[in-house]
Amino acid sequence: MIYFYDGTQEAFLTALTLSFHDGEPFLTSGNKQLVLGQETAFVRADPEKAKRVEKRLLSFDKDCMHDLDTLLRSGDANKDNVALVYFRLIAEKKRPVRTMLGEDAALAADECIRRVGFEVHRFHGFVRFLQSASGALYAPISPDNDICDLLVPHFRARLPQYPFVIHDVKRKKAAVYDGEHTFPAPLEEAEIVLSANEEKWQKLWIRYYDSVNIPSRERLRQMRGYMPVRYWKFMPEKTRPFTDGEEGGGAPFPPS
Amino acid sequence: MMCYNGGMIDERTLMILTESAKYDVSCSSSGSGRKNEGGIGNGYASGCCHSFTPDGRCISLLKILLSNDCIYNCKYCLNRRDNDLPRATATADDICGLVMDFYKRNYIEGLFLSSAVHISPDYTMEQLFLVAKKLRTEYNFHGYIHVKGIPHASMETVQKTALYADRMSFNIELPSESSLKLLAPQKDRQSLLVPMAQLQRDKEIFKAEKRKGHFIPAGQTTQMIVGASPEKDGTILRLSQGLYRKKGLKRVYYSSYVPVVHDSLLPEVAGGALREHRLYQADWLLRFYGFDAEELLPADGDLPTEFDPKCAWALAHMELFPVEINRAPLETLLRVPGIGARGAQRICNARWYTKLTFEHLKKMRIVLKRARHFITVGGKFYGAAETAVRGLLSAEESRANATQLSLFSMNEIALSALTGEL
Repeated sequence: MIYFYDGTQEAFLTALTLSFHDGEPFLTSGNKQLVLGQETAFVRADPEKAKRVEKRLLSFDKDCMHDLDTLLRSGDANKDNVALVYFRLIAEKKRPVRTMLGEDAALAADECIRRVGFEVHRFHGFVRFLQSASGALYAPISPDNDICDLLVPHFRARLPQYPFVIHDVKRKKAAVYDGEHTFPAPLEEAEIVLSANEEKWQKLWIRYYDSVNIPSRERLRQMRGYMPVRYWKFMPEKTRPFTDGEEGGGAPFPPS
Repeated sequence: MMCYNGGMIDERTLMILTESAKYDVSCSSSGSGRKNEGGIGNGYASGCCHSFTPDGRCISLLKILLSNDCIYNCKYCLNRRDNDLPRATATADDICGLVMDFYKRNYIEGLFLSSAVHISPDYTMEQLFLVAKKLRTEYNFHGYIHVKGIPHASMETVQKTALYADRMSFNIELPSESSLKLLAPQKDRQSLLVPMAQLQRDKEIFKAEKRKGHFIPAGQTTQMIVGASPEKDGTILRLSQGLYRKKGLKRVYYSSYVPVVHDSLLPEVAGGALREHRLYQADWLLRFYGFDAEELLPADGDLPTEFDPKCAWALAHMELFPVEINRAPLETLLRVPGIGARGAQRICNARWYTKLTFEHLKKMRIVLKRARHFITVGGKFYGAAETAVRGLLSAEESRANATQLSLFSMNEIALSALTGEL
C-alpha cells in the first residue's frame, strides 16, 4: 500500500499507526508515480492516534521525536519512507535503534539525519547577511534541507541586538528574529534597501578573500568539495557584486 | 541598537596586511565556548569555516597583520626588512571596525591578529594587546580572538593579552635551534619556548584558582616551516609530540616552505605538498589514534611517500594482522589502515547488536580499499596475499595522488576540516 500524507509530524504518526499491520507500506508526501493495481491511501492527521503512538514511541526512545523532526526536514525524495521504516524498527525493537547500523533502516535514517545536521553546521558558516538601511540583517539561502528556522538560535545568540531574517528562497519561507522573538513566516520575495556602507563592506570582503588566497597552490577541487558550488549563489566572494569586469565576475548580488 | 565608531580601513591597507599574513597556516576557530555577554559574538567550540579560497584552505578567522613593517630580517620571511615590499600599519580601530562589520555579516568567526616586529618586540606586543582589549571592552566583541605572541616581548604584556584572547601562538618557525640561528638570526629558541611554557603554567593556575574571566580558553598552538631546513620528519614529529605532551599545545601546524624571497641559504624550490600532507597524517596519529612518534619512524628518518604513515606502520607489523572486526578492541581498530576514528566508533556500536558482515561494512561506508588486507570479518579474510599487499597499496596510493592531492584524504579528517576543528 502506498500512503500519501501532508508531510506533518501528526499525519506521519497517523500513517505509522495505519501501516503497522501492512507488510510493505510505502510513505510519501511528494509526487509518487502510481503503479497500476497498487493500493493507495490518503492519510489525514488524526490527533488522538498520533498522540497515542507518540507516547508509546517516546517510551521506547525518549529522543526519537527529535529524529522525526530532523528526518522530515530532509531534502531527500525518499525521506518519508526512510522515517517510516526507521520508526517501524523502533516499534519492533522497543528500544532506541540509533546505533544499530547493521540494520538498513537505522543506517538510512542515520545518514539522512547526519546530512541535515551537517548542512545546519555548514550554514552557520555559509550564511551571508546583508545589512539594510534600518540596521536589520537579511540573508537569503537555498539549502538542500528545510533548515532555515534551525539556524536562528545560533545567530540570535551572537547578534542579539540585530533583528534578522533568514530567507529560504527555494521554499519561500523565512525565519524571523525581531529583536525579541523568533517566528517562522511565509516569504515569497523580499525587498531590501541596503545600508549606505553595505557595498563597501562587501567589496572589502572580496578584496580580503582574494588577498588571503595563495594562487601558486591552487586546489579548486578541494575548495568545491568543502564549499559546493550550489551554495555560492548568495556569497559575495563568489558572485562578486560591485566589482564589474574583474576576474571571477558573476551574477549581480543580490541576485534578482 | 548598539553603536560604535569603527573606522573603515582602506582597500590598499587591507590588501597589503592580508597578503603579508596569508602564509600563516593556522586559521582554526575551535576550542572556545566563550559566551556573549551583552555584545556581539560568541565562541563555537567545534570551530566553523565561513568560506574556502581557491587554494583549498578555509577562511574561519580574519587573518591579518597589524603591521608588516618589520625590523627583523628572517631569511624565509616575505616581510623581512630587506625585502622590497609595500608596507602598511593599521590602527586598532581599523582592525576592530573590520572585525565587527565582517562578523555581523557572518563572513568570519573572529580575528587572527599577528604582526611583523614593528619598532620593537615590546611595542608590537603592546599594540596587539591594545587591539584585543579594545575589541573586548569597547566594541563588546565576544567572538574568537587568536593573537600571535611576539618573541622577545615582555612576558607581562603577553600575560595580559592572554586575558582577552581565546588562543595565543608563538611560532617555533623552524624545527631546530641551528636552523633558527641560520635563517632567523634575531630569534632564538628560548624566546619562543619560554613564553609558551609560562602561558601554560599561568593557564593551569588560572584554572586551579577558578578565577573569573578567561585565560586563552582555546590554549596555544604553534607552527613550523618544513622544507626550508634539513631536519628529517622523525625529528619534526618528535618535537611535535613533546609539544603536545609536555607543553600541552592544542595544535602544531606544518607549513610546506614556499620560496617567497630569494637567499643563497634557502632552497629555490617549494617543499612538496605531499610531505606536508604526510606530516599532518602522522600528527593525527599522535593525537587521535594512540600512536607514538617512535613507533612511526626513526629520528633520522622521513615518512614514506608511497604509503600513508598508518599504512606504512601496519605493513611493517604484519604479524599483528589481520584483526577480527567483530572482536578487536577500539584501540586496535584505530590502527587498521583506512579505518578512521568515526568508522571505528561506528563499528563498535553496530557490532553490539549483530555480527557484522563484509556487506555491513560496505553499507556503513567503511573504506575497505586498504582495510580489507588487515581485517577478517566473521573469520573470513577478503584481502590479498601478504606478499602482494605492499604492491597493491602503493599502486592505489600513487593513483590517488596523481588525480589531485587532497590535503585530507581520510574522510574523518575532511569532515573535521569542514567543521574547522583543525
